[in-house]
Amino acid sequence: MKRKSLLTTLLIYCTLVGLGLIFLVPILIMLSGSLKIDTRVLIEAGSLAGLVPEQPSLENYRDVSTRVPFIRYLVNSTLITSSIVLTGLLVNSLAGYAFARLQWPGRDALLFTVIALMIIPLEAIAVPLSYQVTLLGWRDTYLVQILPFVANAFSIYLFYSFFLDFPKELEEAARIDGAGPVRIFFSVVAPNAKPVFATVAILTFLTQWGSFLWPMMVTHSEAVRPLPLGIAAFYTLPPLQWGDIFAFGVMMIVPVLLLFMAFQRWFIRGVATTGVKG
Amino acid sequence: MADQLHKHEHLIARLFVLPALIGLLGFVLLPFALAVTLSLTNLRLGSPLPLEFLGVEQYRRIFTDYTFLRALRNTMLFALIIVPLQTGLALSLALLINQPLRGIVVFRTVFFMPVVFPLSLVSVVWVLLFAPGSAGLLNSLLEIVSFGAWQPKDFLHDTAWALPAITLTSVWQGVGFQMVILLAALQSIPEELYQAARIDGANRRQQFVFITLPQLRNALIFVVLVTTILAFRLFDQVQIMTQGGPQYATTTIMYEAVNAAFASQQVAKGAAMTVVFFVLVLLLTLLQRFLLRQERAVA
Amino acid sequence: MLHSVIVIENTQKAAPIITAHLLILMLMLAGCDRDRSDHNGPEGAVTLKVWAHAGQQAEREVLQSQVARFDQRSDEIDVELTFIPERNYNALVQAAALAGDLPDVLEFDGPYLYNYIWQGHLLPLEDLLPTTLIDDLLPSVIRQGTYDQHLYAVGVFDSGLGLYARRSALEAVGARLPESAADAWSIGELNDVLSKLSLRDNDRAVLDLKLNYAGEWVSYGFSPVLQSAGADLIDRESYQASQDVLNNAAAVAALQHLQNWIMAGYVDPNIDDAAFVNGRVVLSWVGHWAYANYKQAWPDDLVVLPLPDFGLGSKTGQGSWHWGISQHSQQPRAAAAFIAFLLNTDEVLQMSNANGAVPATRTAVARSVNYREGGELHLFAEQLMQGVSVPRPRTPAYPVITTEFQKAFQQIRNGADVKQALDEAARRIDQDIRDNQGYRAVH
Repeated sequence: MKRKSLLTTLLIYCTLVGLGLIFLVPILIMLSGSLKIDTRVLIEAGSLAGLVPEQPSLENYRDVSTRVPFIRYLVNSTLITSSIVLTGLLVNSLAGYAFARLQWPGRDALLFTVIALMIIPLEAIAVPLSYQVTLLGWRDTYLVQILPFVANAFSIYLFYSFFLDFPKELEEAARIDGAGPVRIFFSVVAPNAKPVFATVAILTFLTQWGSFLWPMMVTHSEAVRPLPLGIAAFYTLPPLQWGDIFAFGVMMIVPVLLLFMAFQRWFIRGVATTGVKG
Repeated sequence: MADQLHKHEHLIARLFVLPALIGLLGFVLLPFALAVTLSLTNLRLGSPLPLEFLGVEQYRRIFTDYTFLRALRNTMLFALIIVPLQTGLALSLALLINQPLRGIVVFRTVFFMPVVFPLSLVSVVWVLLFAPGSAGLLNSLLEIVSFGAWQPKDFLHDTAWALPAITLTSVWQGVGFQMVILLAALQSIPEELYQAARIDGANRRQQFVFITLPQLRNALIFVVLVTTILAFRLFDQVQIMTQGGPQYATTTIMYEAVNAAFASQQVAKGAAMTVVFFVLVLLLTLLQRFLLRQERAVA
Repeated sequence: MLHSVIVIENTQKAAPIITAHLLILMLMLAGCDRDRSDHNGPEGAVTLKVWAHAGQQAEREVLQSQVARFDQRSDEIDVELTFIPERNYNALVQAAALAGDLPDVLEFDGPYLYNYIWQGHLLPLEDLLPTTLIDDLLPSVIRQGTYDQHLYAVGVFDSGLGLYARRSALEAVGARLPESAADAWSIGELNDVLSKLSLRDNDRAVLDLKLNYAGEWVSYGFSPVLQSAGADLIDRESYQASQDVLNNAAAVAALQHLQNWIMAGYVDPNIDDAAFVNGRVVLSWVGHWAYANYKQAWPDDLVVLPLPDFGLGSKTGQGSWHWGISQHSQQPRAAAAFIAFLLNTDEVLQMSNANGAVPATRTAVARSVNYREGGELHLFAEQLMQGVSVPRPRTPAYPVITTEFQKAFQQIRNGADVKQALDEAARRIDQDIRDNQGYRAVH
């Protein structure tokens, strides 16, 4: 690459900073709103100066922790989401592998079905699905919030496209050593497929962490209530307590942000090897 | 012997797929089949009346219903705008981020950050940004930038502005994801290709058109596909920011379907909308695949 | 999530980690289920499951203390209280009802009640509650809780609408100050006041219609306009048709006034919900719940007026949260005892003080500082006792009626043709009623 002139560099930085502000301001509004008195949030929302709270206080955060059992919700959300992610990784990677690398009758037709199922959003099947789990007697449990989301057509598709381009040589070598598909998958393929596992894990995590409609339909007790439903406790009759809502939002997002910051390298490397393959 | 080995592999393959298939069958296909069945009835949530078979009556109704037709139109319009917009923006951001500059990782993080925010939360924040008059940040900024020429708008209650406002919110939240995918693809383009092109005397623009774009082809196709599907699902932002208004300017298929099923408790009607949605997106996906005739060998 | 990262980095060790995680999960699930079946309270006592909406902080605190007091008073009954988010209350309760999962006692938001009665989920209360208690209830509360000649639910408080105003502003334009619903402003008078006030206002916006509230507010706040004009959401004789009731000439003319105000710029969009408090407007069309805030902002200048008269006299909304007993409750007597306890005068007043709502019994009204005769909010109590208030339609069709009216109102608010919007709503409501065989009684 040839060296860029100072002017070009400066210009690029200016663009980056400008764009960066656009991406940051809404987040900052939330952050600063969470530190303000409820009534000030809306009044000061119209100016950039309002981004700096005059008398920042943690009142809203205190409010949130007294009004709802935040830790309980956090534990529930963590448990539910991590269960979906973990079991999902296992179940969907196996399926993706079988679709991509194993030969068996009926494979292509099933693959097409799976791809078609990718389109169906939860909202579309939520009502019949809730009838179903009611019949099974699963309402108001962790299980009902986990099981329906373990198998995921999109995850299978991501694994499938990754494995499709997986170098054949590694498998061949293992096969010559007498390894069967199970051993090949667990000891050769999976260890070399970290990026796709990372991508699927993060995507699943993001979708499930914010899940709202489904838990609303199938749970009612606080013992199993996840975070997004918790925030609904603050959407009461107006005037809304914006400060509390934002404080809850911040508390809900911080664990995710930390995780993301810590593992973004993995994620980006993961996407590099999956998305590209389409 | 070889035959037996094959049989064994068939068995293993089926075992590999089995858990996923059970899940998909039980929790996606079965409820969807149920939705298709229910769309042919008069089912109302919790109704004590006996279920009646209505045939395609629900479909006839929604296709003669102004609101639903409007929802169809809005959804397609939204997809038509956001797919090129978001893909183009994501590509520009990826190109920008791909510069070998100090501190570039910070910007990558910043651009991606909104992706980790749940849409429900994002929408609430943007309602504030779009507030009418001087109470809204966007209005006051536009007023400053235009030296006072900007007339403050009530974006979310203006038939011309509401859908663009939702589009902007969605782009803000989602573009980072596409950016990362494209960035990854950019970084996997072999440097030798550019070197060879430079030797041949290609300028920056020619390098972009003849090397970068073709090399990004598959990543772009992936991005377009995913963005299209997500665009068609548009729901959360509408629910929180505009409730489909003003004058149905922002109502969408999913919004109408969920509202019919939950708010009005007309499950059968909602189910019919769902089925229409599914068929539409399926056709569109097939069409896209066909048009782009994705050749996976290219990569 | 932490686990999953470990999985990624050491895939060889993934299987044991996943297994361990699953084991832990199963143990927790099992433990959780056991937890629940163990909830039988102290020795010999029956557990009464109660669901309530998670309202304002003060409201929730009062209910919690009431439950504690009730538990203390009776050794045999142990109340297990669950708060459910207000915003999704009906969706959640409906889902639980489908599953046969309703608790012994639960709250219902106003007119959503009738749907549950039609579905056969509720017990009539006449034989369960003391007659003296029923007789003491405000007529509006009885009307709201009655369906098909039975009383199925009772509220601890009721609600009402008024036009809050700044006395000084009205006096400045020489407007008359009506004292009761009987001498409310006529629509002509209000139009006149609005245009005069607007002339003296910087941004011309002088009225707050709480356009920032979404959802049920529309039906609650503006169906009295229809009723005052000689229209309604649905025909109240048969509950079979909205056609020619919701979209008749009177309805169109009345809502046209509202649209005119909005189009003329008289109405503040009130995004920050502080238009009246901050003094941007001098009139606010809202319920009893706004009083505390408004009084604090304008202690010496606040007056509460009845809604305007669109022709057939001023009307107002009513109804709020009502308690009912599930059909499947194993202990209806205990459930009724709990509800009766909440209706003790002291308890009613405590709740009324917490949320500012009109107390549901005559005795409590008489003892309430704000609502008794001569009190500043007596207008609200008077409206409920003298039949000025109209309950929202008492029919299982209500979810559809309110959704359609809300849609129509949003259209009208944004400038659409009033008649067309109402026609469409009436057509859809009637279709739903036909689809459900007129919501004939099944049980």
